[in-house]
Amino acid sequence: MIRLQRVCKRYRTAAGVRTVLQNVSITFPKGHSVGILGLNGAGKSTLVRIIGDAEPADSGNIVREGRVSWPLGFTGGFQGKLTARENARFVARIYGESPRYVEAFAEEFSELGRYFDVPLHKYSAGMRGRFAFSVSLACDFDYYLVDEALETGDARYKEKFRRAFEERRESASVILVSHNEQTVRRNCDMAAILHEGRIELYDELKEAMRHYKYLQTRVA
Amino acid sequence: MSDGGGADLPADASYSGETAPNAKRLTPASVLQALSTQARVIQALVLRDTLSRYGQHKLGFLWALVEPLVMVSVLVGIMSFVRTGNPGGIPLVLFMITGFVPFTMFRNPLNNMQGTIEANRVLLGFPQVTTFDVIVARCVLECAVLLVVFPVILIIAHAFGYDIRIENPLGVLAACLLLMTLGSGLGFLFAAVSPVMPSIRQVTTPVLGRPLFLSSGLFFTADSLPTAVREWLLYNPLLHLLELLRTEFFYEFDSPYGDWGYASLWAGGALALGLLTHQALRKRAIVGL
Repeated sequence: MIRLQRVCKRYRTAAGVRTVLQNVSITFPKGHSVGILGLNGAGKSTLVRIIGDAEPADSGNIVREGRVSWPLGFTGGFQGKLTARENARFVARIYGESPRYVEAFAEEFSELGRYFDVPLHKYSAGMRGRFAFSVSLACDFDYYLVDEALETGDARYKEKFRRAFEERRESASVILVSHNEQTVRRNCDMAAILHEGRIELYDELKEAMRHYKYLQTRVA
Repeated sequence: MSDGGGADLPADASYSGETAPNAKRLTPASVLQALSTQARVIQALVLRDTLSRYGQHKLGFLWALVEPLVMVSVLVGIMSFVRTGNPGGIPLVLFMITGFVPFTMFRNPLNNMQGTIEANRVLLGFPQVTTFDVIVARCVLECAVLLVVFPVILIIAHAFGYDIRIENPLGVLAACLLLMTLGSGLGFLFAAVSPVMPSIRQVTTPVLGRPLFLSSGLFFTADSLPTAVREWLLYNPLLHLLELLRTEFFYEFDSPYGDWGYASLWAGGALALGLLTHQALRKRAIVGL
Protein backbone atom coordinates (compact mmCIF):
# COMPACT_ATOMS: atom_id res chain seq x y z
CA MET A 1 0.00 0.00 0.00
CA ILE A 2 1.12 3.51 -0.73
CA ARG A 3 -0.61 6.30 1.09
CA LEU A 4 -0.29 10.04 0.59
CA GLN A 5 -1.53 12.20 3.43
CA ARG A 6 -2.14 15.90 2.91
CA VAL A 7 0.69 16.23 0.44
CA CYS A 8 1.42 19.70 -0.92
CA LYS A 9 3.78 20.69 -3.70
CA ARG A 10 4.39 24.13 -5.14
CA TYR A 11 6.84 25.40 -7.69
CA ARG A 12 8.18 28.87 -8.00
CA THR A 13 8.22 29.68 -11.69
CA ALA A 14 8.76 32.82 -13.69
CA ALA A 15 4.98 33.07 -13.96
CA GLY A 16 4.54 33.02 -10.19
CA VAL A 17 3.89 30.27 -7.70
CA ARG A 18 2.23 27.23 -9.22
CA THR A 19 0.45 24.76 -6.99
CA VAL A 20 0.80 21.27 -8.36
CA LEU A 21 -0.60 19.31 -5.43
CA GLN A 22 -2.86 20.85 -2.83
CA ASN A 23 -3.51 18.76 0.26
CA VAL A 24 -3.64 15.56 -1.72
CA SER A 25 -4.61 12.42 0.19
CA ILE A 26 -4.94 9.15 -1.65
CA THR A 27 -4.33 5.48 -0.96
CA PHE A 28 -3.13 3.10 -3.64
CA PRO A 29 -4.24 -0.36 -2.57
CA LYS A 30 -2.06 -3.36 -3.16
CA GLY A 31 -2.88 -5.65 -6.03
CA HIS A 32 -4.59 -3.00 -8.13
CA SER A 33 -3.38 -1.17 -11.18
CA VAL A 34 -4.31 2.44 -10.77
CA GLY A 35 -4.29 4.84 -13.68
CA ILE A 36 -3.99 8.53 -12.94
CA LEU A 37 -5.43 10.71 -15.67
CA GLY A 38 -4.57 14.34 -16.06
CA LEU A 39 -4.45 16.95 -18.77
CA ASN A 40 -1.11 18.19 -20.02
CA GLY A 41 0.62 20.13 -17.28
CA ALA A 42 -1.67 18.91 -14.54
CA GLY A 43 1.35 17.72 -12.56
CA LYS A 44 1.24 14.01 -13.36
CA SER A 45 4.97 13.54 -13.65
CA THR A 46 5.54 15.50 -10.46
CA LEU A 47 3.04 13.30 -8.66
CA VAL A 48 4.79 10.14 -9.82
CA ARG A 49 8.15 11.53 -8.82
CA ILE A 50 6.85 12.39 -5.37
CA ILE A 51 5.33 8.94 -4.96
CA GLY A 52 8.65 7.45 -6.02
CA ASP A 53 10.59 9.68 -3.63
CA ALA A 54 12.58 11.20 -6.47
CA GLU A 55 11.48 14.62 -5.33
CA PRO A 56 10.48 15.83 -1.87
CA ALA A 57 6.99 17.11 -1.18
CA ASP A 58 6.69 20.51 0.50
CA SER A 59 4.58 19.08 3.28
CA GLY A 60 2.53 16.03 4.13
CA ASN A 61 3.22 12.42 4.75
CA ILE A 62 3.92 9.57 2.38
CA VAL A 63 3.78 5.98 3.52
CA ARG A 64 5.29 3.32 1.32
CA GLU A 65 4.98 -0.34 2.13
CA GLY A 66 7.24 -2.36 -0.09
CA ARG A 67 9.72 -1.57 -2.80
CA VAL A 68 8.75 1.17 -5.19
CA SER A 69 10.34 1.44 -8.62
CA TRP A 70 11.79 4.62 -10.03
CA PRO A 71 9.43 6.45 -12.40
CA LEU A 72 9.58 4.51 -15.65
CA GLY A 73 9.32 6.77 -18.63
CA PHE A 74 10.76 7.69 -21.98
CA THR A 75 13.99 8.97 -20.54
CA GLY A 76 13.79 6.45 -17.77
CA GLY A 77 16.76 7.53 -15.73
CA PHE A 78 19.44 6.21 -18.02
CA GLN A 79 22.50 7.81 -19.43
CA GLY A 80 22.57 7.95 -23.21
CA LYS A 81 26.31 7.69 -23.50
CA LEU A 82 26.41 4.27 -21.89
CA THR A 83 25.21 0.98 -23.31
CA ALA A 84 22.17 -0.90 -22.07
CA ARG A 85 24.46 -3.40 -20.39
CA GLU A 86 26.30 -0.70 -18.45
CA ASN A 87 23.06 1.00 -17.48
CA ALA A 88 21.56 -2.28 -16.27
CA ARG A 89 24.57 -2.89 -14.08
CA PHE A 90 24.33 0.62 -12.67
CA VAL A 91 20.69 0.17 -11.70
CA ALA A 92 21.48 -3.19 -10.12
CA ARG A 93 24.25 -1.61 -8.05
CA ILE A 94 22.20 1.23 -6.65
CA TYR A 95 19.37 -1.14 -5.73
CA GLY A 96 21.79 -3.61 -4.19
CA GLU A 97 20.86 -6.38 -6.63
CA SER A 98 23.29 -8.68 -8.36
CA PRO A 99 24.57 -6.82 -11.44
CA ARG A 100 25.05 -10.08 -13.27
CA TYR A 101 21.49 -11.26 -12.74
CA VAL A 102 19.87 -7.94 -13.68
CA GLU A 103 22.05 -7.68 -16.75
CA ALA A 104 21.20 -11.21 -17.89
CA PHE A 105 17.48 -10.83 -17.22
CA ALA A 106 17.22 -7.50 -19.01
CA GLU A 107 19.19 -8.76 -21.99
CA GLU A 108 16.91 -11.73 -22.37
CA PHE A 109 13.62 -10.00 -21.68
CA SER A 110 14.18 -6.85 -23.70
CA GLU A 111 14.99 -8.84 -26.86
CA LEU A 112 17.33 -6.07 -27.94
CA GLY A 113 19.90 -8.53 -29.26
CA ARG A 114 23.13 -6.92 -30.27
CA TYR A 115 21.69 -3.48 -29.50
CA PHE A 116 22.23 -4.35 -25.86
CA ASP A 117 25.84 -3.23 -26.30
CA VAL A 118 25.02 -0.02 -28.14
CA PRO A 119 24.87 3.36 -26.33
CA LEU A 120 21.29 4.22 -25.41
CA HIS A 121 21.22 7.50 -27.30
CA LYS A 122 21.14 5.48 -30.49
CA TYR A 123 17.89 3.85 -29.38
CA SER A 124 14.41 4.69 -30.56
CA ALA A 125 11.89 5.69 -27.89
CA GLY A 126 10.31 2.26 -28.16
CA MET A 127 13.56 0.42 -27.60
CA ARG A 128 14.38 2.62 -24.68
CA GLY A 129 11.03 1.88 -23.10
CA ARG A 130 11.58 -1.83 -23.62
CA PHE A 131 14.91 -1.62 -21.91
CA ALA A 132 13.62 0.42 -18.97
CA PHE A 133 10.82 -2.05 -18.32
CA SER A 134 13.05 -5.07 -18.60
CA VAL A 135 15.46 -3.67 -16.03
CA SER A 136 12.68 -2.76 -13.65
CA LEU A 137 11.14 -6.23 -13.95
CA ALA A 138 14.51 -7.72 -13.06
CA CYS A 139 14.52 -5.78 -9.82
CA ASP A 140 11.25 -7.23 -8.51
CA PHE A 141 9.44 -4.18 -7.22
CA ASP A 142 6.16 -4.22 -5.36
CA TYR A 143 5.07 -1.04 -7.09
CA TYR A 144 5.85 -0.03 -10.63
CA LEU A 145 5.53 3.68 -11.31
CA VAL A 146 4.90 4.30 -14.97
CA ASP A 147 5.05 7.68 -16.62
CA GLU A 148 3.38 7.31 -20.04
CA ALA A 149 5.93 4.82 -21.27
CA LEU A 150 3.56 1.93 -21.90
CA GLU A 151 2.70 3.65 -25.14
CA THR A 152 6.08 2.91 -26.60
CA GLY A 153 7.02 -0.31 -28.30
CA ASP A 154 5.14 -2.34 -30.84
CA ALA A 155 1.92 -4.20 -30.14
CA ARG A 156 3.55 -7.56 -29.58
CA TYR A 157 5.93 -6.16 -27.04
CA LYS A 158 3.26 -4.20 -25.22
CA GLU A 159 1.40 -7.47 -24.89
CA LYS A 160 4.47 -9.13 -23.43
CA PHE A 161 4.72 -6.48 -20.73
CA ARG A 162 1.06 -6.63 -19.93
CA ARG A 163 1.40 -10.37 -19.42
CA ALA A 164 4.47 -9.89 -17.26
CA PHE A 165 2.59 -7.44 -15.05
CA GLU A 166 -0.47 -9.69 -15.09
CA GLU A 167 1.65 -12.54 -13.75
CA ARG A 168 2.90 -10.32 -10.98
CA ARG A 169 -0.51 -8.95 -10.11
CA GLU A 170 -0.44 -10.95 -6.87
CA SER A 171 2.79 -9.43 -5.72
CA ALA A 172 3.12 -6.24 -7.73
CA SER A 173 0.97 -3.24 -8.49
CA VAL A 174 1.17 -0.57 -11.13
CA ILE A 175 0.64 3.14 -10.73
CA LEU A 176 0.44 4.70 -14.14
CA VAL A 177 -0.04 8.30 -15.16
CA SER A 178 -1.21 9.30 -18.58
CA HIS A 179 -3.19 11.91 -20.42
CA ASN A 180 -4.50 9.15 -22.64
CA GLU A 181 -7.63 7.36 -21.46
CA GLN A 182 -6.99 4.44 -23.82
CA THR A 183 -3.76 3.63 -22.01
CA VAL A 184 -5.54 3.65 -18.68
CA ARG A 185 -8.48 1.63 -19.96
CA ARG A 186 -6.19 -1.08 -21.30
CA ASN A 187 -3.82 -1.38 -18.35
CA CYS A 188 -5.67 -0.44 -15.19
CA ASP A 189 -8.58 -1.56 -13.11
CA MET A 190 -8.95 1.66 -11.14
CA ALA A 191 -8.55 5.25 -12.16
CA ALA A 192 -7.98 8.61 -10.54
CA ILE A 193 -8.08 12.08 -11.99
CA LEU A 194 -5.57 14.79 -11.17
CA HIS A 195 -6.94 18.24 -11.84
CA GLU A 196 -6.03 21.66 -10.47
CA GLY A 197 -3.98 20.30 -7.61
CA ARG A 198 -6.60 17.83 -6.42
CA ILE A 199 -6.92 14.15 -7.01
CA GLU A 200 -9.96 11.92 -6.91
CA LEU A 201 -9.94 8.13 -6.98
CA TYR A 202 -12.81 6.31 -8.66
CA ASP A 203 -13.58 2.68 -7.97
CA GLU A 204 -15.28 2.36 -11.31
CA LEU A 205 -13.15 2.86 -14.38
CA LYS A 206 -16.20 3.97 -16.36
CA GLU A 207 -17.06 6.74 -13.98
CA ALA A 208 -13.54 8.13 -14.17
CA MET A 209 -13.62 8.04 -17.95
CA ARG A 210 -16.89 9.90 -18.04
CA HIS A 211 -15.57 12.59 -15.74
CA TYR A 212 -12.28 12.88 -17.64
CA LYS A 213 -14.12 13.31 -20.92
CA TYR A 214 -16.12 16.10 -19.34
CA LEU A 215 -12.92 17.84 -18.21
CA GLN A 216 -11.37 17.62 -21.64
CA THR A 217 -14.33 19.17 -23.38
CA ARG A 218 -14.65 21.87 -20.76
CA VAL A 219 -11.05 23.01 -21.18
CA ALA A 220 -11.26 22.96 -24.95
CA MET B 1 23.48 14.29 4.28
CA SER B 2 21.92 11.15 2.98
CA ASP B 3 19.07 13.45 2.20
CA GLY B 4 16.53 10.88 3.26
CA GLY B 5 17.47 9.01 0.13
CA GLY B 6 19.18 6.39 2.20
CA ALA B 7 17.02 6.16 5.26
CA ASP B 8 13.85 6.44 3.24
CA LEU B 9 14.76 3.95 0.57
CA PRO B 10 11.74 2.02 -0.68
CA ALA B 11 13.59 -1.23 -0.10
CA ASP B 12 13.64 -0.79 3.63
CA ALA B 13 10.63 1.45 4.03
CA SER B 14 8.54 -1.12 5.79
CA TYR B 15 6.62 1.40 7.82
CA SER B 16 3.48 0.29 9.49
CA GLY B 17 0.37 2.19 8.50
CA GLU B 18 -0.68 5.25 10.44
CA THR B 19 2.29 5.70 12.66
CA ALA B 20 4.76 6.03 9.83
CA PRO B 21 6.74 9.11 10.72
CA ASN B 22 7.92 11.65 8.26
CA ALA B 23 10.89 12.33 10.47
CA LYS B 24 13.29 9.41 10.32
CA ARG B 25 14.03 7.57 13.48
CA LEU B 26 17.72 7.67 14.12
CA THR B 27 18.85 4.32 15.42
CA PRO B 28 22.35 2.94 14.94
CA ALA B 29 20.90 0.35 12.55
CA SER B 30 19.10 2.91 10.40
CA VAL B 31 22.16 5.14 10.24
CA LEU B 32 24.28 2.19 9.21
CA GLN B 33 21.72 1.21 6.59
CA ALA B 34 21.64 4.74 5.21
CA LEU B 35 25.41 4.93 5.11
CA SER B 36 25.73 1.64 3.28
CA THR B 37 23.13 2.73 0.74
CA GLN B 38 24.98 5.98 0.23
CA ALA B 39 28.30 4.20 -0.19
CA ARG B 40 26.75 1.79 -2.67
CA VAL B 41 25.21 4.61 -4.69
CA ILE B 42 28.38 6.69 -4.76
CA GLN B 43 30.40 3.65 -5.78
CA ALA B 44 27.98 2.92 -8.64
CA LEU B 45 28.10 6.57 -9.71
CA VAL B 46 31.88 6.68 -9.70
CA LEU B 47 32.04 3.54 -11.83
CA ARG B 48 29.48 4.98 -14.22
CA ASP B 49 31.23 8.34 -14.38
CA THR B 50 34.52 6.62 -15.06
CA LEU B 51 32.99 4.58 -17.86
CA SER B 52 31.35 7.52 -19.55
CA ARG B 53 34.46 9.66 -19.24
CA TYR B 54 37.25 7.23 -20.00
CA GLY B 55 35.55 4.05 -21.16
CA GLN B 56 34.76 5.12 -24.72
CA HIS B 57 38.21 4.30 -26.01
CA LYS B 58 40.60 1.54 -25.21
CA LEU B 59 43.22 4.06 -24.15
CA GLY B 60 40.72 6.36 -22.49
CA PHE B 61 42.63 6.86 -19.31
CA LEU B 62 45.67 8.04 -21.26
CA TRP B 63 43.76 11.27 -21.94
CA ALA B 64 43.98 12.10 -18.27
CA LEU B 65 47.77 11.98 -18.67
CA VAL B 66 48.04 13.68 -22.03
CA GLU B 67 46.62 17.02 -20.94
CA PRO B 68 49.08 17.70 -18.09
CA LEU B 69 51.99 16.32 -20.13
CA VAL B 70 51.23 18.63 -23.06
CA MET B 71 50.61 21.62 -20.81
CA VAL B 72 53.79 21.10 -18.82
CA SER B 73 55.81 20.75 -22.03
CA VAL B 74 54.30 23.90 -23.51
CA LEU B 75 54.82 25.88 -20.32
CA VAL B 76 58.39 24.68 -19.99
CA GLY B 77 58.97 25.67 -23.63
CA ILE B 78 57.64 29.18 -23.05
CA MET B 79 59.40 29.63 -19.73
CA SER B 80 62.80 28.59 -21.08
CA PHE B 81 62.52 31.43 -23.59
CA VAL B 82 61.34 34.01 -21.12
CA ARG B 83 63.74 33.50 -18.29
CA THR B 84 67.18 32.25 -17.59
CA GLY B 85 68.31 30.20 -14.63
CA ASN B 86 66.26 27.86 -12.51
CA PRO B 87 63.44 29.33 -10.41
CA GLY B 88 64.24 28.83 -6.77
CA GLY B 89 67.14 26.59 -7.70
CA ILE B 90 64.72 23.93 -9.00
CA PRO B 91 65.13 22.40 -12.48
CA LEU B 92 62.57 24.08 -14.73
CA VAL B 93 60.74 20.89 -15.74
CA LEU B 94 60.25 19.80 -12.15
CA PHE B 95 59.29 23.34 -11.18
CA MET B 96 56.51 23.30 -13.76
CA ILE B 97 55.36 19.78 -12.89
CA THR B 98 55.06 20.72 -9.23
CA GLY B 99 53.23 23.87 -10.28
CA PHE B 100 50.83 22.78 -12.95
CA VAL B 101 49.75 19.34 -11.74
CA PRO B 102 48.97 20.46 -8.18
CA PHE B 103 47.17 23.45 -9.63
CA THR B 104 44.91 21.09 -11.59
CA MET B 105 44.10 19.39 -8.29
CA PHE B 106 42.41 22.65 -7.43
CA ARG B 107 41.13 23.54 -10.89
CA ASN B 108 39.72 20.23 -12.13
CA PRO B 109 37.30 19.56 -9.27
CA LEU B 110 36.24 23.20 -9.45
CA ASN B 111 35.64 23.14 -13.21
CA ASN B 112 34.18 19.69 -13.55
CA MET B 113 31.97 19.57 -10.49
CA GLN B 114 29.88 22.52 -11.61
CA GLY B 115 27.24 21.26 -13.96
CA THR B 116 27.16 17.82 -12.34
CA ILE B 117 23.54 18.17 -11.31
CA GLU B 118 22.46 19.14 -14.83
CA ALA B 119 24.51 16.35 -16.38
CA ASN B 120 22.98 13.76 -14.07
CA ARG B 121 19.40 15.00 -14.14
CA VAL B 122 18.02 11.69 -15.33
CA LEU B 123 19.71 9.78 -12.54
CA LEU B 124 18.04 11.91 -9.89
CA GLY B 125 14.85 10.07 -10.82
CA PHE B 126 16.18 7.19 -8.77
CA PRO B 127 15.10 7.92 -5.20
CA GLN B 128 18.35 6.83 -3.61
CA VAL B 129 20.46 9.00 -5.91
CA THR B 130 20.70 12.51 -4.49
CA THR B 131 22.34 15.67 -5.75
CA PHE B 132 24.88 15.22 -2.97
CA ASP B 133 25.77 11.76 -4.27
CA VAL B 134 26.32 12.80 -7.87
CA ILE B 135 28.50 15.74 -6.86
CA VAL B 136 30.56 13.67 -4.44
CA ALA B 137 31.00 10.93 -7.04
CA ARG B 138 32.33 13.44 -9.56
CA CYS B 139 34.63 14.87 -6.91
CA VAL B 140 35.98 11.44 -6.00
CA LEU B 141 36.70 10.65 -9.63
CA GLU B 142 38.47 13.97 -10.28
CA CYS B 143 40.65 13.69 -7.20
CA ALA B 144 41.43 9.99 -7.63
CA VAL B 145 42.53 10.51 -11.22
CA LEU B 146 44.92 13.30 -10.24
CA LEU B 147 46.32 11.35 -7.32
CA VAL B 148 47.35 8.75 -9.89
CA VAL B 149 48.41 11.21 -12.57
CA PHE B 150 50.83 13.14 -10.34
CA PRO B 151 53.10 10.18 -9.43
CA VAL B 152 52.86 8.79 -12.97
CA ILE B 153 54.11 12.08 -14.38
CA LEU B 154 56.93 12.12 -11.86
CA ILE B 155 57.88 8.62 -12.94
CA ILE B 156 57.84 9.71 -16.58
CA ALA B 157 60.09 12.65 -15.69
CA HIS B 158 62.36 10.25 -13.85
CA ALA B 159 62.51 8.04 -16.95
CA PHE B 160 63.67 11.10 -18.89
CA GLY B 161 66.59 11.44 -16.56
CA TYR B 162 65.39 13.98 -14.01
CA ASP B 163 66.48 13.25 -10.51
CA ILE B 164 63.41 12.99 -8.34
CA ARG B 165 63.91 12.87 -4.62
CA ILE B 166 61.05 13.98 -2.46
CA GLU B 167 62.07 15.53 0.83
CA ASN B 168 58.78 14.92 2.62
CA PRO B 169 56.19 12.89 0.72
CA LEU B 170 53.57 13.25 3.44
CA GLY B 171 53.93 17.00 3.34
CA VAL B 172 53.45 16.95 -0.42
CA LEU B 173 50.38 14.78 0.02
CA ALA B 174 49.01 17.17 2.63
CA ALA B 175 49.40 20.11 0.27
CA CYS B 176 47.69 18.10 -2.49
CA LEU B 177 44.78 17.24 -0.21
CA LEU B 178 44.35 20.88 0.77
CA LEU B 179 44.36 21.91 -2.90
CA MET B 180 41.69 19.30 -3.59
CA THR B 181 39.64 20.35 -0.60
CA LEU B 182 39.75 23.97 -1.69
CA GLY B 183 38.82 23.08 -5.28
CA SER B 184 36.12 20.63 -4.23
CA GLY B 185 34.60 23.08 -1.78
CA LEU B 186 34.26 25.71 -4.48
CA GLY B 187 33.18 22.98 -6.90
CA PHE B 188 30.39 22.07 -4.51
CA LEU B 189 29.40 25.70 -4.26
CA PHE B 190 29.17 26.17 -8.03
CA ALA B 191 27.57 22.77 -8.59
CA ALA B 192 24.81 23.78 -6.20
CA VAL B 193 24.37 27.28 -7.62
CA SER B 194 24.55 26.52 -11.33
CA PRO B 195 21.13 24.79 -11.69
CA VAL B 196 19.53 27.84 -10.08
CA MET B 197 21.73 30.36 -11.88
CA PRO B 198 23.17 28.76 -15.03
CA SER B 199 25.03 31.91 -16.07
CA ILE B 200 27.50 31.42 -13.23
CA ARG B 201 29.32 28.83 -15.29
CA GLN B 202 30.32 31.41 -17.86
CA VAL B 203 31.85 33.46 -15.09
CA THR B 204 33.89 30.98 -13.12
CA THR B 205 36.57 30.20 -15.69
CA PRO B 206 37.48 33.73 -16.85
CA VAL B 207 36.94 35.43 -13.49
CA LEU B 208 38.29 32.77 -11.18
CA GLY B 209 40.27 30.28 -13.24
CA ARG B 210 42.51 32.50 -15.32
CA PRO B 211 43.63 35.06 -12.76
CA LEU B 212 44.37 32.23 -10.36
CA PHE B 213 46.31 30.39 -13.05
CA LEU B 214 48.56 33.42 -13.40
CA SER B 215 48.84 34.45 -9.77
CA SER B 216 49.23 31.18 -7.91
CA GLY B 217 52.93 30.64 -8.35
CA LEU B 218 52.91 28.21 -11.24
CA PHE B 219 55.49 30.40 -12.96
CA PHE B 220 57.30 32.03 -10.08
CA THR B 221 58.29 31.68 -6.48
CA ALA B 222 56.99 34.14 -3.92
CA ASP B 223 60.57 35.03 -3.11
CA SER B 224 61.21 36.33 -6.63
CA LEU B 225 58.41 38.89 -6.42
CA PRO B 226 58.73 42.56 -5.45
CA THR B 227 57.62 43.01 -1.85
CA ALA B 228 54.51 45.06 -2.66
CA VAL B 229 53.25 42.54 -5.20
CA ARG B 230 54.06 39.64 -2.94
CA GLU B 231 52.07 41.10 -0.08
CA TRP B 232 49.01 41.23 -2.29
CA LEU B 233 49.45 37.86 -3.93
CA LEU B 234 49.90 36.19 -0.58
CA TYR B 235 46.18 36.66 0.00
CA ASN B 236 45.82 33.88 -2.56
CA PRO B 237 45.79 30.57 -0.66
CA LEU B 238 46.91 28.71 -3.78
CA LEU B 239 50.21 30.57 -3.74
CA HIS B 240 50.67 29.45 -0.15
CA LEU B 241 49.91 25.86 -1.08
CA LEU B 242 52.27 25.76 -4.05
CA GLU B 243 55.05 27.31 -1.97
CA LEU B 244 54.40 24.74 0.75
CA LEU B 245 54.25 21.89 -1.71
CA ARG B 246 57.59 22.80 -3.30
CA THR B 247 59.15 23.31 0.10
CA GLU B 248 58.10 19.81 1.11
CA PHE B 249 59.09 18.38 -2.26
CA PHE B 250 62.57 19.76 -2.92
CA TYR B 251 65.63 19.56 -0.72
CA GLU B 252 67.06 22.63 -2.39
CA PHE B 253 64.00 24.83 -1.96
CA ASP B 254 62.72 26.37 1.23
CA SER B 255 60.11 29.10 1.28
CA PRO B 256 59.20 31.13 4.36
CA TYR B 257 55.98 32.38 2.77
CA GLY B 258 53.71 29.34 2.76
CA ASP B 259 51.41 29.25 5.75
CA TRP B 260 49.68 25.94 6.53
CA GLY B 261 47.20 27.58 8.87
CA TYR B 262 46.10 30.21 6.36
CA ALA B 263 45.72 27.66 3.56
CA SER B 264 43.83 25.20 5.77
CA LEU B 265 41.48 27.93 6.86
CA TRP B 266 40.65 28.67 3.24
CA ALA B 267 40.22 25.01 2.37
CA GLY B 268 37.97 24.34 5.35
CA GLY B 269 36.02 27.52 4.75
CA ALA B 270 35.49 26.71 1.07
CA LEU B 271 34.31 23.21 1.90
CA ALA B 272 31.90 24.45 4.55
CA LEU B 273 30.56 27.15 2.24
CA GLY B 274 30.10 24.66 -0.58
CA LEU B 275 28.28 22.09 1.56
CA LEU B 276 26.07 24.67 3.23
CA THR B 277 25.13 26.25 -0.09
CA HIS B 278 24.28 22.85 -1.47
CA GLN B 279 22.15 22.11 1.56
CA ALA B 280 20.34 25.40 1.17
CA LEU B 281 19.70 25.07 -2.56
CA ARG B 282 19.26 21.36 -3.14
CA LYS B 283 15.47 21.43 -3.17
CA ARG B 284 15.43 24.17 -5.77
CA ALA B 285 18.15 22.49 -7.79
CA ILE B 286 16.01 19.52 -8.76
CA VAL B 287 12.94 21.52 -9.73
CA GLY B 288 11.75 21.18 -13.29
CA LEU B 289 13.09 17.77 -14.09
